[in-house]
Amino acid sequence: MLEILIFGAVTSAIYAMLAVGFTLIFGVARILNLAHGSFYALGAYGAYVLTTIFKVPLLVAAPLVVIGVALFGMVVERVLIRPMRTSQLAVLMISLAVALVVEQALFLVFGSEYRNVPSFSDQKYVIGGVDVAGQRLLTLLVAVVSIGCLYLFIQKTRLGSAILAISQDPEAAQYMGIPSDRIFGVVMALSAGLAALAGIMAGPFLSVQPSMHLLPIVKAFAIVVVGGLGSIPGSIVAALMLGYAETLVAYGISTSWTEIVSVAATLLMLVLRPAGFFGKRAAF
Amino acid sequence: MQLKNIDRGGAILAVAVMAVLPLVFDSRYLMGVLTVAAIYGIWSVSWDFMSGLTGRENFGHSLFIGVGAYAAGFLNTLWGANAWWSLPAGMAAAVVFALIMGIPTLRLKGPYFALAMLSGAVIMQRLMLIFWEYTGGEEGINGIEPLIRSPLYFYWFVLGVLAFTVALLGGLARSRWGLILKAIRGDEATCQAAGLNVTYYKIASLVISAAFAGMGGALYAHYQLQVSPQLFAVVTSITIITMVYVGGMGSIYGAVGGALLLTLMTEMLRNFGEWRLMVYSVALILILFFLPRGLVAPTWNKMRQRWAGVKS
Repeated sequence: MLEILIFGAVTSAIYAMLAVGFTLIFGVARILNLAHGSFYALGAYGAYVLTTIFKVPLLVAAPLVVIGVALFGMVVERVLIRPMRTSQLAVLMISLAVALVVEQALFLVFGSEYRNVPSFSDQKYVIGGVDVAGQRLLTLLVAVVSIGCLYLFIQKTRLGSAILAISQDPEAAQYMGIPSDRIFGVVMALSAGLAALAGIMAGPFLSVQPSMHLLPIVKAFAIVVVGGLGSIPGSIVAALMLGYAETLVAYGISTSWTEIVSVAATLLMLVLRPAGFFGKRAAF
Repeated sequence: MQLKNIDRGGAILAVAVMAVLPLVFDSRYLMGVLTVAAIYGIWSVSWDFMSGLTGRENFGHSLFIGVGAYAAGFLNTLWGANAWWSLPAGMAAAVVFALIMGIPTLRLKGPYFALAMLSGAVIMQRLMLIFWEYTGGEEGINGIEPLIRSPLYFYWFVLGVLAFTVALLGGLARSRWGLILKAIRGDEATCQAAGLNVTYYKIASLVISAAFAGMGGALYAHYQLQVSPQLFAVVTSITIITMVYVGGMGSIYGAVGGALLLTLMTEMLRNFGEWRLMVYSVALILILFFLPRGLVAPTWNKMRQRWAGVKS
């Protein structure tokens, strides 16, 4: 029982880090970014390259990678996505193409074999008779802290209010003199950085290989549908729901069936309540 | 009238050239490439019929292809059914999946359909690996019988299927039905206001599209004589989408041109093996930026107008 509680929390934490960024860039800029999983993959590979090849200590490498991926996200938004923003489908196409370019680049450089990303902590803790790797607990902590910081940043700072204003009414915000294009860049960087952080934290206990960006997109999409497109609290709640649902299925039935949960949840939610639990509009 | 004749002549000429090519150059290799190109043609046309006409992009066409191919594989190897049953079985299996995916998502506006299809394909590929006891895992299903023993006759059969598909879907696209689909792409709300059951038309076109994709999948299974989870991969869908974009969205025949062009071109890039998919992804980005209307269909349009003496 306690096992389910702890492992479910860790899974949910990773999902939340991915889904919050995915929903943030949608809520603010109406960009559905299919390259979101690539930022996660680049985070894991970045940590691998810096620590194993360049022998940089992980504590130094991690912030470097997060900043690097955030900059990459900004460049992708500026150069590739912004000219296409008039058409929702063109954005989907171009971001999926970016995701595949990143995947193929990783494949050409590193090959398709699995890579080991070093973990921050190799210690094992025993909580109420359950063995938990320190890395997993740390992931949980990092997720809570980073999402908490993001929330405070949006609620308390001037830049955060600008982000909120654009997500509520882009036109009115522009009339008030908020430079929306620059804000989109900032939001993209935040979302990419958060995904990269998730990749660095989850890398040690997940499989790191070039096509690893696909499942996070599937999960993020499921979470965002359940929680409501564009709603951050919704995506956190939905991440917890999906994380625990998958863990319950893994323990109750079999790990084989966990992958079905996300797609089943997506389809069911679209039938029952397309707006999601926290979303306002069913479509846009 | 003139333009129509030129179109017909062009189509007959293209099929004739494709049919005669393996007789002129007597090579197994070329025949293999052409067979694959024709199968990709079927897939691209079926994608274009739904997504090109209604403007609802399907990022998981590989779902239908894979389902069709696996249906053929199971039927042929496990139950030892006659190979010819594979084609209807592949179609039926793909149609079932089209209904499962289409009914919840196509009622809605927005990106739900595109993303749900992508998720569906990714998860199906994972399931094929997870339930390896039944699906053969990474290896897939081997030992599928060929549909027609002679590669030349099989190629002609595939070419015939391609011609039939293009004729049928092209005809549908030009009919009242296709007009409604194009109207949905233009303005869905207006169509609804005009009393059209938009959801029905979208789902029906997805079902037709899936049926042909599934049949193409079954043909591919009987060409490769094995199926693997790689068929479900997102790159399969992206390859097809790139082909349609090169051909020109919504033109049906353009998609075939795109499929032939890209398959033959990548065969020339064979030495770059690993770079093939990279080339596709970069090509897609370049086309989205510089040739949003595609290459094949606009070129053909210009050529036929010149021949017909129409001033454009």
